[in-house]
Amino acid sequence: MSNGKKNTLLLLLLFCSSLAHAQKQVPIERKDTIANESNIIKIVGNHSNKGAANNALDVLSGQAAGVNVTSNGLDRMAMLNSVRVRGTTSIIGGNDPLVLIDGVTSDVLTLSTIYPADIESFRILKNAAETAMYGSRGASGVIEVKTKKGTGRGFQISYEGNVGFERMYKHLNMLNAEEYVATAKALGVFCNNGGFNTDNYKVITRTGMVNNHYLAFSGGTPQSNYRASFGVMDHNTIIKKMDYNVFVAKVDVTQKAFNDRLTGDFGVFGSSFKNHDIFDTQMLFYSAACQNPTFPAGTDEHGNWLKNESATHVNPPGIVLDEKNDSRDLNFDAHIKLSYDFNPNWRISTFASYLYGSTENGMFCPTWVWAQGNVYRGEFKKEEWLGNVALSFNKQIGIHRISAEASSEYRKLTKTAFWMYAKGIPTNDFGYNNLGATAVRPYGGTESTYEDQSLASVMGSVTYSLLDRYLLSVNARGDGSSMVGDDNTWGFFPSVSFTWDMKKENFLANVKPLSMLKLRTGLGQAGNLGGISAYTTMNTVRQTGIVPVKSSPTVTLGMVRNNNPDLRWETKTTFNIGADFGFFANRIMLTAEYYYSKTSDMLYAYEVPVPPFAYNTLLANIGSMSNRGLELGLSVQPISKKDMELNINMNLSFQSNKLISLSGDYKGMSMTAANVTAIGSLDGAGQNGGDNNVVYQIVGQPLGVFYLPHCKGLVKNENGSYFYDIEDLDHNGKVDLSDGGDRYIAGQATPKVTLGSNISFRYKDIYVALQMNGAFGHKIFNGTGLAYTSMACFPDYNVLKDAPKKNIVDQRVSDYWLEKGDYLNFEHLTLGYNVPLKSKFVRSLRVSCNISNLGTITGYRGLTPMINSYVVNSTMGIDDKRNYPLYRTYSLGLSVQF
Amino acid sequence: MKTIIKYILAVSLMLCFSSCLDEHPKDQLDQEAIYNNADNIYKNAVASLYNYIGSNQESEGLQGTCRGIYDYNTLTTDEAMIPIRGGDWYDGGLWENMYQHNWNANDINLYNVWKYLFKVIVISNQSLSIIDSHKSLLSTEQTRNFTAEVRAVRALFYYYAMDMFGRVPIVTSYDVKLEQVTQSERSEVFKFIVDELQDVAPQLADEHSNKEGDYYGRVTRPVVNFLLAKLALNAEIYTDDNWTDGKRQDGKSIYFNVNGEKKNAWETCIWYCEQLRQEGYELEGDYASNFAVHNESSKENIFTIPLDKNLYLNEYHYLFRSRHYKHGGAYGGSSENGTCATVSTVKAFGYGTDHVDNRFKTNFYADTVLVDGKKIYLDNGKPLVYMPLELKLNLSNSPYKQTAGARVGKYEVDRTAYSDGRQVDNDIVLFRYGDALLMEAEAKVRNGEDGSRELNAIRDRVGMPHVEANLDNILKERLLELVWEGWRRQDLIRFGEYTKAYDQRTPLEKEFTGFTTVFPIPQRCLDLNKKLKQNPSY
Repeated sequence: MSNGKKNTLLLLLLFCSSLAHAQKQVPIERKDTIANESNIIKIVGNHSNKGAANNALDVLSGQAAGVNVTSNGLDRMAMLNSVRVRGTTSIIGGNDPLVLIDGVTSDVLTLSTIYPADIESFRILKNAAETAMYGSRGASGVIEVKTKKGTGRGFQISYEGNVGFERMYKHLNMLNAEEYVATAKALGVFCNNGGFNTDNYKVITRTGMVNNHYLAFSGGTPQSNYRASFGVMDHNTIIKKMDYNVFVAKVDVTQKAFNDRLTGDFGVFGSSFKNHDIFDTQMLFYSAACQNPTFPAGTDEHGNWLKNESATHVNPPGIVLDEKNDSRDLNFDAHIKLSYDFNPNWRISTFASYLYGSTENGMFCPTWVWAQGNVYRGEFKKEEWLGNVALSFNKQIGIHRISAEASSEYRKLTKTAFWMYAKGIPTNDFGYNNLGATAVRPYGGTESTYEDQSLASVMGSVTYSLLDRYLLSVNARGDGSSMVGDDNTWGFFPSVSFTWDMKKENFLANVKPLSMLKLRTGLGQAGNLGGISAYTTMNTVRQTGIVPVKSSPTVTLGMVRNNNPDLRWETKTTFNIGADFGFFANRIMLTAEYYYSKTSDMLYAYEVPVPPFAYNTLLANIGSMSNRGLELGLSVQPISKKDMELNINMNLSFQSNKLISLSGDYKGMSMTAANVTAIGSLDGAGQNGGDNNVVYQIVGQPLGVFYLPHCKGLVKNENGSYFYDIEDLDHNGKVDLSDGGDRYIAGQATPKVTLGSNISFRYKDIYVALQMNGAFGHKIFNGTGLAYTSMACFPDYNVLKDAPKKNIVDQRVSDYWLEKGDYLNFEHLTLGYNVPLKSKFVRSLRVSCNISNLGTITGYRGLTPMINSYVVNSTMGIDDKRNYPLYRTYSLGLSVQF
Repeated sequence: MKTIIKYILAVSLMLCFSSCLDEHPKDQLDQEAIYNNADNIYKNAVASLYNYIGSNQESEGLQGTCRGIYDYNTLTTDEAMIPIRGGDWYDGGLWENMYQHNWNANDINLYNVWKYLFKVIVISNQSLSIIDSHKSLLSTEQTRNFTAEVRAVRALFYYYAMDMFGRVPIVTSYDVKLEQVTQSERSEVFKFIVDELQDVAPQLADEHSNKEGDYYGRVTRPVVNFLLAKLALNAEIYTDDNWTDGKRQDGKSIYFNVNGEKKNAWETCIWYCEQLRQEGYELEGDYASNFAVHNESSKENIFTIPLDKNLYLNEYHYLFRSRHYKHGGAYGGSSENGTCATVSTVKAFGYGTDHVDNRFKTNFYADTVLVDGKKIYLDNGKPLVYMPLELKLNLSNSPYKQTAGARVGKYEVDRTAYSDGRQVDNDIVLFRYGDALLMEAEAKVRNGEDGSRELNAIRDRVGMPHVEANLDNILKERLLELVWEGWRRQDLIRFGEYTKAYDQRTPLEKEFTGFTTVFPIPQRCLDLNKKLKQNPSY
């Protein structure tokens, strides 16, 4: 580790010097920060090539093969903010990678609040041998974020900021008032003509504003230095009443003592994240599309809304905007790291951190949309203590170098929650701010919970390198958790990796064009408990309900789920093999890696038979799942001159996932779960339950496949309308749309290939950068198209412009609306200018302009193919009325270093 | 050397950590803590079962919510349907399939019903084992009474399970392994239920459970007596293990041991109905008062689901689901414009003739609707007029898309309801004495006796002329008296009408065999327990 420390410092220095030449791009640096972790991809957080990256997730997006980041700020609901490292490996959850900010456990949300300028580097750990040092916490990959520290080179100030605006550029094309009335007339149906011509998208949208400012100053000497930064983000989205703002402050201090033998790092970090959202965004967009366009945009003179009572799933969009779903996240953490070098070979280091996070929620549904109104407040708090002690040894003896480390760690996490629902509000004016002014607070609507989890680990690792060419690393760790059964507390997870730096071999030393060649492979295991909560192994009881006992309401206690005292660690075994190539002084770099991972003893809420069980799910370790993939990274620098530079980076990930089995033994009983389970269906008018399922989980298939009836085409009814001609796939003379009926596997919801790419070009002090991402090989069910085309809903619900011509009066789900989801998306385009200054005070000055969400190339006929294609839940793969109108962000940026 | 140090370090750390890895929950208790005295054992092992009689969850509760037992006993019959109204109520073909008997083993709602019924059965078994293992904290009488009440609740749920699914597994112990869960013939399940109920009845209090007081909402002896009368009345069906062979035993040759005497099915039914009379049940003077907002004082209701919008979670969705949006709007909430009485039902009430049954107005909303004496106006400016005779299964191309069909009435509208009328104070009536009288009339007729006294008592109460007590009139009277009460499927099956053409329905191809009189065992259950076998023809 001592080596690593020095190298990291070196890198830090390198990076700081690069600040002065900000145009010099080092997007993916493959520096061996630590000898035995040479295969860790390191993304240097020099965000300048990415223009208006306002959010750490933006910086990460598209940068590393095998990492899928879906973020577009926080405001494209249908996509969810998610990060997946090598896809989904566990069904129960715990698929979010471990995010560590300066060693302190964090999460994707907090990461998204960090200003890119505060980030020095990301490291993404994917292989078992790499994640070994984080054990179970890192089972789904690790994103290590290192924030900037003081440089020890005297006083410095830097400011970065950008301001911009957002404009809607595309929305679904529904009938306008005139067409709506004409269509109703042509069909001979009564439509309620309110006499207006309202553009309902105009009702809910506005010009969004983006404001980001960030200030950092640092100072001190190499022995004693500090850095402090403050960031403010304010974002008004294009949807009225939806906005968020972030305030972040952090301070880091480094102090050395005893002839530099003792190094102490202290840091505190605080962030506040406020988000204003709408309670039911699906209803908002459903209403904007399908509300009768002849109805007025606002209320009448008496303050009443004109509602179409028969269209129960939509409301005047203006009312829906009055709904609230607000949250406020506060995070505070502090950490201290002390390391002491006894001599050049031995070092002891300790790390301790404390984290406090709280989330407050407030929801409000006015009486307009919810009879008697509905109000909710909730508070969720967590506290985490983490302590770590490590002893390391490092020695070079001739051609041998050996390093070893033993460490132990203890982590305790406490979560508490308190929430309350109330209804029967006397006025819509209080919002969620006065719960006292409510008539009813029903049983079950008020709750508080407490949960604590503890995790202990011991780990040993030995790394041996010969001639600086052959490097073998062996790790062994034991993870103990409070959450598994008493007999299974400890899990043992070993890993081994090997690297061969072939370029250092004599036979390649003279091959001039080849500047780098490294082979690496690894095999290892990690335990995962990410998706479960505490106490599931205990025979505990909670309230089961409220009944009259002697006519007085009485709360009863009892079992509320099947308990499993035998819960074990879910184990993921990963094998990886890869190579890094560099040609022409690394102007062309290629990296390729193949991996295979198998999740066994897979934790899942398995479906179990009732009887003998009381409840139909049991959290247990029964099934298994595999993931395999190939990750390719290519970085080319075709032009590299003093005045001109062109960089092209591209990474491609091929991924395939398979649910191997959900069957096995539990307590001597042979458990056979259903092979086909529906996980996603449509939601909306006339689409409540029945044979409406779209996405399934099927054994032997990837998680999330489309299992649909086949539509042969459209058939005309006597009255001129059309219906879907569903094929009798099993030729039994009867079309059966149910789960076991005439359905076939029609494609998968997760992309088979994902692409991330950025291209940057510099001429003298001017540079242009373009960032793209893409996903291929998956399908999307266009549920929005199905619903908004169906004339069965007209005129209660407005329809798409081409719907009257198609005249389909049928809402049945079939592959007619299953489309290819392939897309290539242009995320950011930046034009920047580094103002050549010869000032004593200003060290660098850069201005830039940026366009985000430039456009998407796709064959998908819905609004956008960028929906949730990664997170396994009920929305996966289904475009169902949730999409935001498309918008672009235009911004101007300024960056100054003093 | 280093390895040894490391090893020692590792082991010592593991030991030290292990003690830090125990769990100490604060928001839940260890099971033992809640069964520490007689009061708590009653609350948590016996009273807790009453949480499951009603519900606010779909497919749960014996009545009140949607897509559960009630829907499968009502929307599958000639009584009611939910038509497709353009963009509304297609719901993946669910309602149409119910009406046409086109369900299959993959029907997720049937699976949910199965899970619900057997959840309560398994939890009842757990309660029995808890009572048994905590005997030392209870008096002999308490042990006996608690056990009896739990066994009665379990039998009640077994009754619904057997009625719907036919061959179901009898599980009487909490500590049972999967391989021991095998189906019994329907007649065995039937016998088990009857034996259990007869066995525990003497230990149960002879109290009116619908009335507020110590026994409110509980399974008391009259509840069990009513259930035994039902079981006896349907004994021909429940003892038929091959329901697709067109043969069944005659009720006169099915014997029960009642109070030491051997009685045939009809005599048994009559005896238990007589018990109810002796227990003080009588017809309310006003038919509608049994369904009033405050119906806890009814002399007629035997078993109800206690509803109180401020105290309990149980809900009643059927008025909300049925009435037109504007109709719900007039009560200050919203509605779903769903369930309708079939054309044959409103005709049976004499709708459209000069001789409309006096119960029609209580049971249905039809024609022009008045709320507080005022008409309700639709968007097109015309008043809301329900069109009972325009009902079709698919109304998408009908001019009466939204207004066809008479709507669910019966229960008095609670004007202070919450959740758009789903949370009300009317207790839901599961069993009532009016039904017992009709059962007695039927059993007498089937046994060759005269049932006109009981039948005409029902008609007298609502001011309708007397009719002859024959089976046709009794089935008809059951519709008139008990519409919307969830009995129609069972009645049609008992009268052999369920599988025939009725209203706008034509039977399925092989339905004459009677296979649809029992629902399929849900496919998930078969997948999860390979020992279970599907019912015939599914």
